[in-house]
Order: sequence, then structure tokens, then C-alpha cells
Amino acid sequence: METLQLIISPLLLTLKIATISTLFVAVLGLLIAYLLAKREFPGKRLADILFTLPVVLPPTVTGYILVLLLGKNGILGSIFFAITGGGILFTWQAAAIAAFVVSLPLMVKTASSSIGAVDRSVEEAARILGRNEFETALFITIPLAKKGIIAGCVLSFARAVGEFGATLMVAGNIQGKTSTMPLSIYGAYQAGNNELANLLVLILIAISLITIAATSKLGEQ
Amino acid sequence: MTVEVDIEKKFYGRKNRKWKEKKPSFSMHCSFDTDSEFAVLFGCSGSGKTTALRCIAGLENPDAGTIRINDKLYFDSKRKINLPPQKRKIGYMFQENALFPHMNVRQNIEFGLKGLGFMEKASRVDEMLGLAGIEELEFAYPGELSGGQKQKAALARALAPSPEVLLLDEPFSSLDTVVRLKLRKELRAIQRRLEVPVIFITHDPVEAFTMADRIVVFDNGKVQQLGSPEDVFYHPKTRYVAELVGFSNLFDDAVVERHGQRDECTFLWSLGTEITAPYIRRMAGDRVSWGIRPENIELVNSENAHSIRKEDRKNLLNGVIRNIVNKGTSRIMSLKLKESEAILNVEVTNHIFDSLKIGTGEECMVRIRTSDMIVF
Repeated sequence: METLQLIISPLLLTLKIATISTLFVAVLGLLIAYLLAKREFPGKRLADILFTLPVVLPPTVTGYILVLLLGKNGILGSIFFAITGGGILFTWQAAAIAAFVVSLPLMVKTASSSIGAVDRSVEEAARILGRNEFETALFITIPLAKKGIIAGCVLSFARAVGEFGATLMVAGNIQGKTSTMPLSIYGAYQAGNNELANLLVLILIAISLITIAATSKLGEQ
Repeated sequence: MTVEVDIEKKFYGRKNRKWKEKKPSFSMHCSFDTDSEFAVLFGCSGSGKTTALRCIAGLENPDAGTIRINDKLYFDSKRKINLPPQKRKIGYMFQENALFPHMNVRQNIEFGLKGLGFMEKASRVDEMLGLAGIEELEFAYPGELSGGQKQKAALARALAPSPEVLLLDEPFSSLDTVVRLKLRKELRAIQRRLEVPVIFITHDPVEAFTMADRIVVFDNGKVQQLGSPEDVFYHPKTRYVAELVGFSNLFDDAVVERHGQRDECTFLWSLGTEITAPYIRRMAGDRVSWGIRPENIELVNSENAHSIRKEDRKNLLNGVIRNIVNKGTSRIMSLKLKESEAILNVEVTNHIFDSLKIGTGEECMVRIRTSDMIVF
């Protein structure tokens, strides 16, 4: 019974964090990807570098920066504290933010390259046929870049599920509260509970396989 | 329809933009107006004709100037008017159809009919499908269509919202000859039926000549000549236009000798001989250029050259045939002229060529009729 609890709790927590993070990644990432692919604006190169950075940075560095930002004296942490009266570090929300930050670049990169690959004249045709930029993006660009956008979401979800380093830094490894699957595996292995580690590993592999299957199914449609 | 375009646009190369240099890599300044039903923008690629069309459609912004269609101001840099493409009532056909690949033909045509009721939309789409003759393709996706069918669908889509003017950017250039000829005819028929004014881009002289009411010749971002097809093709005003419309024999070595009596002609010294050319208002001693189409050069049977009357002996040139190219319906002979070593291209129909029994290396005499010459 206790083993079951040790499996269910991190599994649900991981799915919750990954799903919420991916929802935000999908919306915000798509917007950023569109702007990077379609618009020219000052500081575009800087923005591009900034959104790519978390892929290259060691997760502990990303985590450390997040700790600075989210701590009670940090820019974001102080705002959160002023609103809620509590700290955000070492909560599942902090883990979700960490997952969001590390997986956003995957969405931005994948989606913006597929949005950029959409034939310009097709979009121009839509404009001439009386549609504004938003309608053109909604009915033409995004449907045509669908594959890349879905791939970006899936990659982001997978990255969020597997997030370890930055999560450990900002949320710790509090059982039942912030101990996600990867952290639980690490904990079980450290404690010599190989049985539990094996089970958790199998479940993570299963989740990965399901994600891949779902992507190829969605891509076909 | 009246189209008035007077725009300027400068393009800067990458390096120039970085260093904010003043010298643009390409600068366009075109000004033309037309009230004809079928205007053709004609010029080779890179001459700025597509840029002009894209500016009319609002896909690109000129740096300065005005664009007015049917007295409606689309663009005016001074008054800061610049309608976005969706507010200009324009139909546009791209070189590569630009159909929406994720929609079938019916949905493609329907896309531009925003704001119409369900039934109105359906009947308008049916009308367009019928007009383009693609009723049976309504549920086909662009990927399943042939090149010609795609362009028909694109035409139906462009015409569906009843545009005030239809802009076509070399729409048939990627099609094979048979389909291209057929589509040209169909486009002209549809245009007459709907009475929608058209601005058409092409680099193909035959297409320009057969389709246009009015031709605007572009080169290097500027309008070179503007006129009826006959005007442009028979009386090109500049060397560039002459070359473009098929005057492949152009000579720049001519010097004005004197003018004929009552200015009915001008005598030029060119190709090592005296050439009687149409009258040109230039002083004796001025350098001029002249040209003639290869198909307008007349072959003269050299055997009875001595029997040619004296007044017909002008503009006779002798040469040796250097090579002969069979174009299918005609042959192009390159003639190396005796007096000047210049090369003259002569086009003769295969019918005449066969009856002459001449070949490479043989001598040949040709006559250049004064009335067929252009001088500038």
C-alpha cells in the first residue's frame, strides 16, 4: 500500500506539473515563435538567444538563476509574496515554473522553424483575400505549421516530465509535495530501494512511448 | 478602370543596410497609368515589375509616391495613406498558385467570401467553379491537381470576391506550352465576360503581344516605354526595348551621313556601306543605332543580282552563312557580312529555306527594307 502511494504520488505530481507547464508553453511559446518567425523588431536576435539559452545552460545554472528570481528578495518572488503572503520556492508551482523555463525553448525553436517554413505567398494570398494578420495566422499559418507545433508541444511535455536539475534547485525533493518522478527515482536509488526505482523507471518509459505514439497519430491527421 | 502608379522604392543590400550607406543596391522609380482593360507589365526578371505589382497589392510598401485605382487612393506617402492588403479590393494570382494546401478547391474559393451568408457563399463558389471550368474538382486538394488545374483554381479564388482589379504575376510561366496557350485564351475570355480589368506580368514577348491592350516595358526599375502592343513591338524607342521585343540585329556603329530629299529618309554609314534608313532628326556625323528583326530580312537570289534595277540596289548586303539553326517552323541563319565582318541573323521559313537549297559556307545576298528598320 505504501509502495503504491510512493508511485502514485510522484506520477500524478509529474503529470500535473508537466501538463500545466506544457499548456503555458503551448500558448506563450506559439506566440513567441510566431513573432520570431514573422516579425522584425529591434532586439530580435537578443530575444532569440535568450529563448535558446535554457537549452544550452546546465540545468543547475538555470535552477540557480530561478532561485534568485523566485526567492523572497527576487523580482518575481517578492511580487508573489506581496500577493499571496507566502514563498514560492519549494512548492509544486516552483517545479512547474522550472519545467516551463527549460521546455519553452524546445517549443519556440521547433514551432518557429515550421512557421517560418510556411510559404509566404500562401499567407499573402490570404491577406489579399480580405483577411487580417490574426485571421491569416489562425486559418493558414498555424494549420500549415501544425506538425512542427505539435512536435514542439510533445518535446516540451517530455522535457517537463524528465526535468531534474532545475526542479531540484527550486523545489527540492519533498516527498508528496515536490518529489516528481525523476526525483523519486533518484531518491529511491540513493536509498537502495531498487524495486521502487525499477517500477518508476518502467512507468517513465511507458509515458515516453505513449507520447511518441500520440505524436505520430496527431501528425497523421 | 484607371490605375495610376507613381512610386519609388529602394532596396539595400545586406552590407549597405548595416553600414547605413546611402547607395541602394536596386532602386525602382516607376510611374505609369493605364485605363485599359488588359495591361501587361513586360520586362526581364529583376526589372522591378513584380515589385511594382506587389506594391499595388499592398504586399510591399513603396518608400514614396502614390497608388490610385479607380480614383480610390491606396497609397500616398505624403498624406500617410497606406491601405493594408485586406482593405484593397484586389485579386492576385501568384506565380506558383499559392493555393491553401490544407483546403480543398471549394474551401479555397470560399476563403475570400467573408461576410456572405451560407447560401450566397455556396452559389458564388459554384459560379466561380463553372467559370473556371473546374466543377468536377471542387473537393480535390491542391496536391491532387495538375499545374493547369491549380492555376484555374487560383484564378477562381482570386475572382470570387469580385475584385476591382486582377493582378497576375507570371501565372502561366511554370506550365507547359500547350496548357499555357489554352489558359491564356481562357483568361482572356473570362476577363471579357466579367469585364474585370487586369494587370498581367510576363517576360514572354509573345504572351505580352497577344494578351495586352497596353504594354508597360520595365527595365532596371524604370518604365522604358508605354504603348499599344503594335507600338512597342514595331517601334521600340530604346535599344533595350528593341532587344526585348526581338530585334536581334542591332548595330551601334552607324553614323549619319546626310538626309534624303524632303527628309523622306536618312543615309547612314554602317557595316562598311551606305544604308538608307527611315528619317531620323539627327545631325550629319551623329552616331546612331539601328536594328531590324531577323524575320524581316529579305533573301535576294544572287544569280540575278545584275538584273536588279538600280533603285532597288540600296541596302543590299553580302555575306557567308556561318551556321544555321532549325527552330522548328523556321531557320535562323547567321550571316557573316563581307564588308564589315559583323554578324546578321536572318530568319526564313522552312518552306522558303528548302526551296533555296543553300547551306553553311555558302554566299548569300540579303536586302534590308528601309521601312522595316528602326533607328534611334
